[in-house]
Amino acid sequence: MGDGARIPDEKTFGLRLDRRGFLGMSAVLAASGLLAACKKADTGGGTAAATGASPSARPPLESEPGGLQVYDWGGYGDGAYYPKEERQYLWKEYETATGDTPTFILFEDDDSGYAKVAAGARYDIAHPCAYRFEDWVALDVLQPWDTSLLQNFSSLNPTLQASGNIDGQQYFVVADWGFAAPMYRADVVEPQEVSWGLLWDDRYEGKISWWDSLNMLVVAAYYHGIADPWAMTDDELGQMRDFLISKKGLVSFFWGQSIDLFRAFKQEEVWIGYAWPDAWVYAKGAGFDVVYSEPKEGRTSWYCGFGLFADSENYYHAHAYADSWTSTKAAEFLLNYYAYGHTNTAVDLSLISKDIVEAFGLGDPTILDEPRTHAERPIERRDVYSEYWSEVKAS
Amino acid sequence: MSTVDARADAVRVGRRSDRRATVGLLSAPLVWLLLFFVVPVGFVAAYSVGAVRIFPTDGSVSLADWQRFLTGGSIYLDLFWKSVLMSLAVSVVVVLLAYPVGYFLALCVRKRKYVLLLVIIAPFLTSFLLRVLAWKVILGDQGVVNTLLFWLNLRAPDDPVPWLLYSRFTVMLVLAYVWVPFVALPIFVSLDNLDRSLLEAASDLGSSRWRTFVRVTLPLSVPGIMAAFVFVFVPTIGEFVTPQLVGGTEGYMYGNAINDLFTEGLDWQSGSVLALFLLLVVAGLMVLFGRWIQVRNVAG
Amino acid sequence: MSDIAASGRARGLLILFFAGLVLFLYLPIGILALFSFNDGDVSFPLQGFTTHWYGDALTNPTLLGSLERSLLVATVSSVIAVALGILAAFALVRRRFVMKSAVSALVFSPLVVPYLVFGISLLVLFTALDKFLTDTMGVYIGLGLHSVVIGHVVVSLPYAILTIMPLLERLSLSLDEAARDLGAGPWETFRRVTLPLLLPAIVSSFLIAFTLSFDEYAIASFLAGTQPTWPVYLFAQLRVPSLLPQLVAVSSIVLIASVLLVGAAEVGRRVAERRYAGSLPETG
Repeated sequence: MGDGARIPDEKTFGLRLDRRGFLGMSAVLAASGLLAACKKADTGGGTAAATGASPSARPPLESEPGGLQVYDWGGYGDGAYYPKEERQYLWKEYETATGDTPTFILFEDDDSGYAKVAAGARYDIAHPCAYRFEDWVALDVLQPWDTSLLQNFSSLNPTLQASGNIDGQQYFVVADWGFAAPMYRADVVEPQEVSWGLLWDDRYEGKISWWDSLNMLVVAAYYHGIADPWAMTDDELGQMRDFLISKKGLVSFFWGQSIDLFRAFKQEEVWIGYAWPDAWVYAKGAGFDVVYSEPKEGRTSWYCGFGLFADSENYYHAHAYADSWTSTKAAEFLLNYYAYGHTNTAVDLSLISKDIVEAFGLGDPTILDEPRTHAERPIERRDVYSEYWSEVKAS
Repeated sequence: MSTVDARADAVRVGRRSDRRATVGLLSAPLVWLLLFFVVPVGFVAAYSVGAVRIFPTDGSVSLADWQRFLTGGSIYLDLFWKSVLMSLAVSVVVVLLAYPVGYFLALCVRKRKYVLLLVIIAPFLTSFLLRVLAWKVILGDQGVVNTLLFWLNLRAPDDPVPWLLYSRFTVMLVLAYVWVPFVALPIFVSLDNLDRSLLEAASDLGSSRWRTFVRVTLPLSVPGIMAAFVFVFVPTIGEFVTPQLVGGTEGYMYGNAINDLFTEGLDWQSGSVLALFLLLVVAGLMVLFGRWIQVRNVAG
Repeated sequence: MSDIAASGRARGLLILFFAGLVLFLYLPIGILALFSFNDGDVSFPLQGFTTHWYGDALTNPTLLGSLERSLLVATVSSVIAVALGILAAFALVRRRFVMKSAVSALVFSPLVVPYLVFGISLLVLFTALDKFLTDTMGVYIGLGLHSVVIGHVVVSLPYAILTIMPLLERLSLSLDEAARDLGAGPWETFRRVTLPLLLPAIVSSFLIAFTLSFDEYAIASFLAGTQPTWPVYLFAQLRVPSLLPQLVAVSSIVLIASVLLVGAAEVGRRVAERRYAGSLPETG
């Protein structure tokens, strides 16, 4: 493309926002986090005392085997996207503190990650996303964290930590979060209104990409004003399915990974897409005039956290890793490189880059709250949703 | 001559003390196939009726999944027929394209027929994914065909031909492209084995070439045609890679449904039902077409 | 003969059709090769000649890693498949036994099973096995290159047998008997008489199995776990082509290499067979 920024690929991402930009963004997020904390500080949980073996029964850190096995997404430490920066920001602190280098085992998505563990795979820590938190706990392979061992825990957004608190135990330390929203190219797309409806705008046939996920049913539900998109009845699901089927002809293809969506934008195959923030960062860096919209029905948000395996032999190592990942340094990296949020509310404050603020609506502390953003929540009848989505694809 | 010889040798060898030798020879391959081919398939069958459970969400023993699938309660049976139709269309086109090639090489070429045959088959022996990549590159909105059209001013640069890529047409085109080389082989073999004297006799009896073709050559080459048809039809029903790469949203096939059930959404039990159904259909087809498929003849 | 099968005009049309089909088959491959040297994106107009994509590709560790893994899997699975294939071919050609047609059907059935179905059945088996082992013994094996090797041996086996059988049939047993009359034991006979004569077919079947395994995507996609083989890596890059001309560069290399490899195998096989047939003693 010939522009200054190097185009990201699996190994040589050189994209970077300027320092003022990321610091500014984290400032706003911190502010919003603090505000949220103030509002909801009384929703119990969050810092339940650790149970399990008393600290004295555990071998100290020095006699743990090390070689911490981290079961995680690509680009979160293994170096898939930013080889040097991932290490530097996410786990250098851990390495310095323990002298250990972690091993990364990757999973492609939550389902396959969960499947492998259900089949018997065991690691030290895992990093799934919230909608599966309860499934993981139900597998009976995790033990709760001892939050008193986590130095950064008190700085973490309590509301999100509450979602990792199951049955009164802190099974998950929620670290990262992000939005999902329609992203479009401002130079070729003129939205009639900023809405999820962009994803089925008749005027842009063949230039649209959806995420290959049952979440499409959820956002269609928000578009239609359904009361609780995360717990729809069969009737409602049927209506959403039929609606999506009727609009499917406008869609070019379904993307599975964020990088696929970016590449489609880059090749100008697609002008509108259901997108996560990192796709916006890549597209912007490639020189496109892309807008990460705030649809009138509200964005959705996802969040993910670290879980500790019950039979891990690296108890203290694991806590040290979680600490490293929940530090402000890690927050800087996520915001800077992926435009993902981080739950650490104590990030440094500074000036804000207008682009990023506008793109993610960071100027307003209520951005994370309903109804502007709908936090993802577990879907009880997930398998039913899954079937309806398969029907959308199969028709 | 030497085959007769081998058979005679085989007779000589069928003595009792050599049965142990036979068992010795066969044990390794058979054990491997039993363990890693028969058992897994049996497992899938058991899993599809809930006799095996892996995940906490798996149901217990019941035929409900099968019932729902077969009585059209779920959308997958429709998808299956849709895929069958697509495969049928592709197979017919492929056989039509491959037949003249086989005919030409077997009956009209004297020297170097095997070299020319290799030229046709060689692409099939190269990477399948790369050949699909080539088409993605050629058919995209900013791909070779469209940019060529822009360059030649046949189409405006903001108006590429949209249905070239990510459509049912693309899937069928790419599938045909991939399979034509392979399918030429059985047709060639059956025509090559044709007794020339039959053609000469027909000609001596005053038959025109066209008539000879229709009434002698074509009927005799039917085994080759059937083999060719099956060799492309069977794999393409279960095709999922090509649709994923070039099918976009229109080209979703039955194989994709199976793949998705196993990789997204984690409904392995439904996936097993669909997979087993496909296997049974394929097995049924092979029994049906068994007499046309002499594996040895077709392999050349 | 050629006059009998087609008139001059029909013959002309057939030649045209043949040429057209060859063009259709090779043009996309040729275009890929062309753009591997293009100094820019894979679209017209061309932007100048360069070989730096090849250099880039050859220094891309993820790409190279996947190539290495594929080479490893292909080699190991082919060796096993050929070994098993030789055994099975001997049994099928030289032995008479009761269940011959059933065994034959079993041995050749992987040819018609869709790889999708086979891949997931191994996935289900290995996953269930892992769960069982974890629950009872706390042992977890997991999926990986070993699983891919197992799957590839199964699907390569019929091809190996099909390649070896014709040549084996042509080798007369009288050679074996002559060797035994001269005092050689069965193993020595095999090693010094049969095996050398069978070598062209063995090499051929190895190359076919190798090519099959190296390029195989469906089974590997389910069984490779976290270590992608070359097709699995390639597929991930292909879902939306990123115009990585590196990929195109490597593709060209792999394409040409496999064409040459298989061509050489075929040529070698026919040369050896012709040579052998020429020196075959006249048998009854």
